[in-house]
Amino acid sequence: MTPDEEWGLIGKVAIVTGGGSAGDGIGNGRAACILLARAGAKVMVVDRDLALAERTVAMIEAEGGTAVAVSYDVTTSAQCEAMVADAMSRWGRLDCLDNNVGIGSRGSVVEETEENWARVMHVNVDTMFLTCKHAIPAMIRSGDGGAIVNISSISALRPRGLTAYSVSKGAVIALTQAMAVDHGPDGIRANCVFPGPVYTPMVYAKGMTEQARETRRKASVLGREGNGWDIGRAVRFLLSDQARFITGQVLGVDGGATLVGPSRAS
Amino acid sequence: MGRLNGKIILISGGARGQGAAEARRCVAEGARVVIGDLLDDAGNALAAELNGAAVYVHQDVTKEADWDAALQAAEAMGGLHGLINNAGIYQPKRLMDTDAELFERHMRVNQLGCFLGMKAVVPLMEKSGGGSIVNISSTAGLRGSPGAIAYSATKWALRGMTKAAAVDLAPRKIRVNSVHPGPIDTDMLKVRTAEENEQRLQFVPMKRMGTADEIASLVVYLLSDESGYVTGAEVAIDGGSTL
Repeated sequence: MTPDEEWGLIGKVAIVTGGGSAGDGIGNGRAACILLARAGAKVMVVDRDLALAERTVAMIEAEGGTAVAVSYDVTTSAQCEAMVADAMSRWGRLDCLDNNVGIGSRGSVVEETEENWARVMHVNVDTMFLTCKHAIPAMIRSGDGGAIVNISSISALRPRGLTAYSVSKGAVIALTQAMAVDHGPDGIRANCVFPGPVYTPMVYAKGMTEQARETRRKASVLGREGNGWDIGRAVRFLLSDQARFITGQVLGVDGGATLVGPSRAS
Repeated sequence: MGRLNGKIILISGGARGQGAAEARRCVAEGARVVIGDLLDDAGNALAAELNGAAVYVHQDVTKEADWDAALQAAEAMGGLHGLINNAGIYQPKRLMDTDAELFERHMRVNQLGCFLGMKAVVPLMEKSGGGSIVNISSTAGLRGSPGAIAYSATKWALRGMTKAAAVDLAPRKIRVNSVHPGPIDTDMLKVRTAEENEQRLQFVPMKRMGTADEIASLVVYLLSDESGYVTGAEVAIDGGSTL
């Protein structure tokens, strides 16, 4: 397969956190890994569960792409530093970072425990802070600037009873925009994608009733659910040279769900 | 393989500047285009350059009959899958220097023109299996933009109409999104001096102006099936200047 030159990703190096998916399913991270590899990037697929990352790499290698599976715990600064050093020593540069790691929550502030609140912020916000903290200097050293996409959520803009999660995903937007301003002069672009009702392994892993799925479909004005590929294509676009004047944006891939805000299962 | 293979795209104000860049990119991605504009010489020259993949139609976007003519050209090509509402005027004046005539002229070209375009394309797009409309607004449609009240009013209107139209047209499988260019290096900026344009760059985190081709890249993404789950979105392409 010949990579398409117009993305400007041939020979570039990308780190994708949360790049594994359960089984052979296509999650947001896995889709982005596959699409970045198809565009010619070398992809470091990071997952806490190495086997899931290895499955993503096997899919990429089957298509003739270049990728490596690694396991780092991105909730610690030392592991994020080691992850970036790994990419730099392996491939000599770093150009792109796609942050997918995150966990959900349920309940209002009254119901939420302090321990779980702290855990949601730690996993959903600190990981993005720490990966970017170490990736940005490496991107600058690589000489061509860099591009970051952080995955936020429709819940940041249309909260529905997942309060800690909503707050953490709102923080992801503010963090991303602050980085876009702070490091724009360094040639670093930073954007968010917020998925709407997409049907991915993370969503269906714990089981979802057909009724809940139908409610989610109807939450989109297009009347259908999205999937990991929809998110992956948005991520590839924003990380590529096709978006080289776009920074600080919050791109909804939600079938228009945020336009009307109807009830939806969460 | 082109990302717009087999698609037919109508571009208003497509004869020069950003519109022409969009026309060239759409064709490079495998689409055929109908170029509407008031500038017949430039439009015909561009259509000739695009060698069989483009036709030019004379189009005043404030006239429904001209939209009908553009739609006939698209139908003759075989259908319609995309519309870029690109035509617009920019005559920046402060509130106290803006008269009713200038205000109305902006409303007619920028706002009414966009509305008539969205309305006109629906039947043919629906017949063609759905489509994607991209409305070219501005960063002046995202914030308080100095010294251009009439322009700002219409660009905010485009942003709002985009969202309303996205809801109305979703059942017809037509997506509608808005693009908000910031400082872009085209003839439009010649209303300011070079020093003034230089000074504006201080406030752009990326420290440069964008190019018409960069706008075209965003438009291609929004027209293509890659963005099939994106509707009602607004995307600024401004190097971070609205942050």
